[in-house]
Amino acid sequence: MTVAHARWVISASLMLALIIYTVPMPRAFAWFRPELPVVVLMYWVLALPHTAGVITATLVGICMAILQGNTPGALSLGLVVSVLVLLFTYQRVRQFDIVQQSITITLLVGVSLIIERVLLLSAGGVVAEGYVFLAPLPLTLLCWYPVRAILRGLRRYYEVR
Amino acid sequence: MGWRLVAAIALCVSALIYFDDSPRLEPARRVAVDGSSWLLSLAAGPGQILGAVGDYFRSRDSLREDNERLVQENLVLQARTQRLASVLSENARYRALLNSAELVQDDIMVAEVVSVVADPAHHLLVLDKGARDGVYAGQPMLGAEGLLGQITMVGEHSSRAILISDASHAVPVQVMRNGVRALAEGTGSIGELLIRHLAATTDIEVGDVLVTSGLGGRFPPNYPVAKVVDINLRPEAAFASVRAKPLASLDRGRHVLLAVAHTESAAP
Repeated sequence: MTVAHARWVISASLMLALIIYTVPMPRAFAWFRPELPVVVLMYWVLALPHTAGVITATLVGICMAILQGNTPGALSLGLVVSVLVLLFTYQRVRQFDIVQQSITITLLVGVSLIIERVLLLSAGGVVAEGYVFLAPLPLTLLCWYPVRAILRGLRRYYEVR
Repeated sequence: MGWRLVAAIALCVSALIYFDDSPRLEPARRVAVDGSSWLLSLAAGPGQILGAVGDYFRSRDSLREDNERLVQENLVLQARTQRLASVLSENARYRALLNSAELVQDDIMVAEVVSVVADPAHHLLVLDKGARDGVYAGQPMLGAEGLLGQITMVGEHSSRAILISDASHAVPVQVMRNGVRALAEGTGSIGELLIRHLAATTDIEVGDVLVTSGLGGRFPPNYPVAKVVDINLRPEAAFASVRAKPLASLDRGRHVLLAVAHTESAAP
């Protein structure tokens, strides 16, 4: 249909991912919460690189940081770097099979989390001790397949271009 | 893509530098607090609805028992309040006699916990009261048993509060028994506060109750904070390391009290 339509579906899916991301859960499990909004963002960048890009990544990063109680900007910069890598390589990543894609996306999420941590540490923010900040990665890896399947269905149904 | 990348990086860097502290961005912070509490309450909604349905189907007997218990508690509390009022007025007289500079009288506002912030590295609560209700940044937050924390960010209709157990929080305290002053820092673990840099010869014992000292002007004095559970005293160390357990249940309860401190000049 139209580009405006595309933006509606993209925004709605990102908003839903943010809501699911903030569902309260016991503190012990919360460390393993997958980075769902980032995975959704990566899908849209991969599928529609001319519509979703670094600006979308910045906004998603700011929203996530505010919801997490972190200083906004750190995660955004991490996401901008990851999305930039994906924008340069999206044609190749599209040809990957599902396992390779899952690993690539998870690595990019990991890179953005590492950049966020370094920036927060240098800004004097509070971060978790040790490598526990990477705990969301295993479930993020498992997330890619269902997220890709659902969003691909939505994209085709609403003819998002 | 060039200008978009520059704009994105500029936005990230300026948010990183200015968002938390700049007074000009206060309206943006308020929008952020209100927007995030709306999203968080939306996410917490299904759980709350399930809880409400469970409450609805609670047996009549348990409600009657609750009611009876609450009536009794209320009577006891009313009696205590009456005694407290007389003690307060007596205290005010003594302060006036001593020409004390100020009298502190506390009002209490009740707020409901809407949700907790998603990141487990932070101990932050989202409350349903905001600037419209008179909430302000730095306002002390209390539970039934003691100090819970303080308000950090305020929106129009909601606010965000940090618990005393957050790793970035510290509260000036004193030992109730003898008035020894210290600083109780959060550790990032919900049931533990840490007092560092306390001279090894200080008179402090396991079981001592720590109350707010009022130093720093943020918290009113004499609110209970924590109880000392462990003292690590090594002969070669200059300082003792003291661990304390917060008296308030930091991870339980749906309601908190916000203290509104009124400071009045006493008559000389």
